[in-house]
Amino acid sequence: MTAPMKTFRQRTAWIAWIAYPTLAVALCLGLWEALVRINDVPLYILPKPSDFLARLVVDRTTVLAQALATSVSIALGFGMAVLVAVPLALAIISVGTLERGLFPVIVFLNIMPKTVIGPILIVWFGVSPAVAVFIVFLMCFFPILVDSMSGFRATDPRLRYITRSMGASAFQTFRYVRLPAAMGYIFAGMKIGIVKAVEGVIIAEFIGSSAGLGFMIMRASSFMDMELMFSGLIATALVALVFNGAMLAAEKFLMPWNRPRHA
Amino acid sequence: MTTGASIVARGITKVYGNDSSAYHALGPIDLDIKPGEFVSLIGPSGCGKSTTLLLASGLEPVTQGSIEVDGKPLTKPITEVGIVFQDHLLLDFRTAMKNVMLQQEIRGLDKSVIQARAESLFERLNLKGAENRYPWQLSGGMRQRVSIARALVHDPSMLLMDEPFGALDAISRTQIRHDLEMLWLDTRKTVLFITHSIDEAVGLSDRVLVMSKGPGTIVEEIKIDLPRPRPAHLGEYPEFTKYANRIYSIFEKLGVYKFK
Ligand SMILES: Nc1ncnc2c1ncn2[C@@H]1O[C@H](COP(=O)(O)OP(=O)(O)O)[C@@H](O)[C@H]1O
Ligand SMILES: [Mg+2]
Repeated sequence: MTAPMKTFRQRTAWIAWIAYPTLAVALCLGLWEALVRINDVPLYILPKPSDFLARLVVDRTTVLAQALATSVSIALGFGMAVLVAVPLALAIISVGTLERGLFPVIVFLNIMPKTVIGPILIVWFGVSPAVAVFIVFLMCFFPILVDSMSGFRATDPRLRYITRSMGASAFQTFRYVRLPAAMGYIFAGMKIGIVKAVEGVIIAEFIGSSAGLGFMIMRASSFMDMELMFSGLIATALVALVFNGAMLAAEKFLMPWNRPRHA
Repeated sequence: MTTGASIVARGITKVYGNDSSAYHALGPIDLDIKPGEFVSLIGPSGCGKSTTLLLASGLEPVTQGSIEVDGKPLTKPITEVGIVFQDHLLLDFRTAMKNVMLQQEIRGLDKSVIQARAESLFERLNLKGAENRYPWQLSGGMRQRVSIARALVHDPSMLLMDEPFGALDAISRTQIRHDLEMLWLDTRKTVLFITHSIDEAVGLSDRVLVMSKGPGTIVEEIKIDLPRPRPAHLGEYPEFTKYANRIYSIFEKLGVYKFK
């Protein structure tokens, strides 16, 4: 069966998808620019978009390098969190006593603010990107663990009857049924995780790193360099956007069966 | 093509849970299902119909008694079987065809053979065009048809169905009943069909086993002597009304119905 023909509206939908947000952002920045100009707000209080956007262009190599450092920390911490949390979730769910014993601990660690251990990490690792990686790991780990556990619990027990009647081994049941069934939940956890990761990495770089956008913003702050701080803010938002986009793309690629959100 | 298996059960009972929470759910009952026979089990909710199906497939162990399938004692889940439950239990991350082909993937069967069989089942079950659609894109009736295709594609010797049409509307139900009957007439799998619909039991079966309230036992066996294929409107046969009345009166006598 071939895919149904897309209508003109569907084919041009992406234009609207890009055009509307762009227009909205441009409007906000325009308003900002106008208000600052009309009221003559000094640069050291609030820079104009034209100031910090120009600065972003001028200092693009520095900002890009720091953004890259931040991205590497996010990717490492997040990747490790996924690699540990998903198998651990399966192990916990598979062993009943483990689930009952560990669940309170997990709930406690999940609600505990992770950044408080930043100063301890500085003692352990010194002022280095390792602190940021570790904090990112902790911040994404729990949402991914908790949601993966829900995912592995989600399979209808009667579906096991069906797979057992097919003679499926435990591994086959996992590979063909439980893992794909859990995927939606795992992605839900990863999407929360990646938002927390960006939040966490910047805070970690404020307090304990010698690289990254958080570090750059903190240093700019000590020089009262408003333009660079706002450039850093824009760059951070862009990094967050890229990671979120990558997550959505991965979801679409790995879960092609997912129903469209507005269907 | 694999022909139907025989199912013989002697004095089987099922008690769920252990000492402190033991619950006697079924039996003792006997079953004598001949190869290729279509047998329905009808009874009030909670009488142990689903339990009987799980015991007959080896998915749950019996507490007492013994079961033989094709003369061999049943000790572990049988794989020469297709099962359909009331909920379709399709995998929502697989298309209709891929759901059916799960049988081939897990059992490691020859792909082209099973694919061909799946296609012919899609044809016979009026599922043409649904192959590449996901379960959420199908109607309830179509989902249940896909479940039936999944239960038959590997050519099992028996088909176990637990209220398979229970969640469907009356019109879909009548059609799917006929489509199942036509498939069965061609393949002569042994079918154990669980239902609480008198129409379905009489409309499909060679024999109807009527169960009492839980822990259920078989209180009556009714041989249905109607020509096949049976029509959409069963009331056409005066005998149908006779069989249906018989089941109603058993239920009344057992206190399943309390009409004033
Ligand atoms: N796994 C189980 N553990 C404990 N009790 C069960 C279990 N499965 C079924 N039962 C109980 O056994 C009785 C028979 O159940 P079931 O076979 O599902 O009945 P039916 O299908 O006829 O409605 C019910 O009272 C039910 O609550
Ligand atoms: Mg039942």
